[in-house]
Amino acid sequence: MIFSVETWHITVFSLAVGLASTLVILPFGVALAWLFARRDWPLKSIVETIVLLPLVMPPVSTGLILLKIFGRRNPIGQWLYDRGIEVVFNWKGVLIAMAVMSFPLLVRSVRTSFSEVNPRLEQIAATLGASGLRIFFVITIPLAYKGIVAGALLAFSRALGEFGATILLAGNIPGRTQTLSLAIFNFVQTGKDPEAYVLLGITVTLAFVFVWCSEWLLRAGKRA
Amino acid sequence: MLLRCRIPLANFELDIDVSFDARVTSIFGPSGAGKTTLLDAIAGLRPIADGEIEINGRTLYSSARGLNLSPQQRGLGYVPQEGALFPHLSVRKNILFGAERHRDIGNAEGISIDHVLEVLEIGKLLDRPVTELSGGEAQRVALARAILSRPQLLLLDEPLAALDIALKERILPYLGRVRDEFGIPMIYVTHNLTEVLTLADWVLMIQQGRLVTQGIPQEALRSAHTIMQIPDEQFENVFTATFIESDAKAGRTRVRLRSGTELFIPYLPQPANRSLQIRISADDILIGTRRPEGISAGNVIAGTVHGIELVDGQALVPVFAGEEFFVRLTSGAVTRLELKEGTPVFLIIKTRSFRVL
Repeated sequence: MIFSVETWHITVFSLAVGLASTLVILPFGVALAWLFARRDWPLKSIVETIVLLPLVMPPVSTGLILLKIFGRRNPIGQWLYDRGIEVVFNWKGVLIAMAVMSFPLLVRSVRTSFSEVNPRLEQIAATLGASGLRIFFVITIPLAYKGIVAGALLAFSRALGEFGATILLAGNIPGRTQTLSLAIFNFVQTGKDPEAYVLLGITVTLAFVFVWCSEWLLRAGKRA
Repeated sequence: MLLRCRIPLANFELDIDVSFDARVTSIFGPSGAGKTTLLDAIAGLRPIADGEIEINGRTLYSSARGLNLSPQQRGLGYVPQEGALFPHLSVRKNILFGAERHRDIGNAEGISIDHVLEVLEIGKLLDRPVTELSGGEAQRVALARAILSRPQLLLLDEPLAALDIALKERILPYLGRVRDEFGIPMIYVTHNLTEVLTLADWVLMIQQGRLVTQGIPQEALRSAHTIMQIPDEQFENVFTATFIESDAKAGRTRVRLRSGTELFIPYLPQPANRSLQIRISADDILIGTRRPEGISAGNVIAGTVHGIELVDGQALVPVFAGEEFFVRLTSGAVTRLELKEGTPVFLIIKTRSFRVL
């Protein structure tokens, strides 16, 4: 019995929270990527750098920052807590950790695909009377959608692999916040190697499929 | 139309101050003169340092009044050099993209989709993806898209530049038809003299961001200063002619110019449209001071020299023979024939030297 109930639970939980986190960051990531690719504004480079930070910072450091922000001693955490929203050590913490860690990948990928859309097309659409919103949804997005989907897939894969930030913000609580990566760590720690290998197989397969799809889309996007 | 603008560019400053009122105004000049920049500025796609743009009595931009209409509000139709069709949309969706533009900005009614499709002959292309169009088809679709947005003014940026010569000659008549059928004023950017002479009734010649000269094309482009900037192969006479008859055996077609002068041109089957445009290079016309006899050339036309421009050993001799013909000679030939203003001469033109657009 390789696929135990526990294995299923962990896999479904990871996929569900990973998907939710990707969907949450998608609109913000697309909007921000557009602002980076198409507009000049003050402090743009600073904001770009901050957004990219989680990509290079130790995930544990990012997790610590998040813990400080969402902990109850911080005004933000306190404010949320007063409204019945607790983030630390539950699935919302997992979601936030995943979102923050995968956001830079999404933004970078989408930004590139926006830059590859010929701005002349947007300009001509404007002379034809199309509003900024119509240009964005009828010209820019359809021409960049492959890059956007590829970016979302990449972000999703990154979310599934999240470990460092998650363990700090959400802990490693079996049945509550335990994702694939956290569970592998746990199994290895407690000497349950066979269980760890099953999860290992699942993560490798998922990662392979997502990265392969993402690359395929990006290549297809270049050809079009 | 009033056009006054100053735009700093990398190597020079575009500084134009003109006002004109014509059906087709050509902006003529060498590559890199700032022509596209000027169109972009009129369309509102590029910031202007200061100036004023007014079209049909409507101010689109005025630095003094702090007015700067967005490209959407300007109500202009822009056909860029590369066509810029939306690659993910069908031909139909492309040409209808701007068709919903608000009526009070656009150029009222009177332009129907069917009419545009018919004039540009693109009805058959409607359901094709634009990625499968040929260069000439793509240009016509881009033109249709701009016209159907019912603009107050059409801005055409070298619409023929990307096409090869054969295709150019096929597309040029479409532009003439657009001019005649839809009554939308045009600004036509080009570096090709034939296109100016064929389409425009006013020309602004710009170079290095400055206006060099302006006026009616035939006259404005005559000045010596101008001649030297026009590439040799482009120095041509362009006439509108009416088809009279064709003789396949003799290999020639007889046409009449507006002035009544009749000419023989190479054989062509009776055209559907009896009005054609013919052209002849200024280097392919001979001048004789006596009527020649026993020659092969099919056209000998009597005329009078009026005005001679001498530049660097070359002479541009306009000869009035019902129409104005430009002939380019060496200055030596002018001296030898003792040509001067008022000299009666004969123009000798081979039938086969004429080209039909």
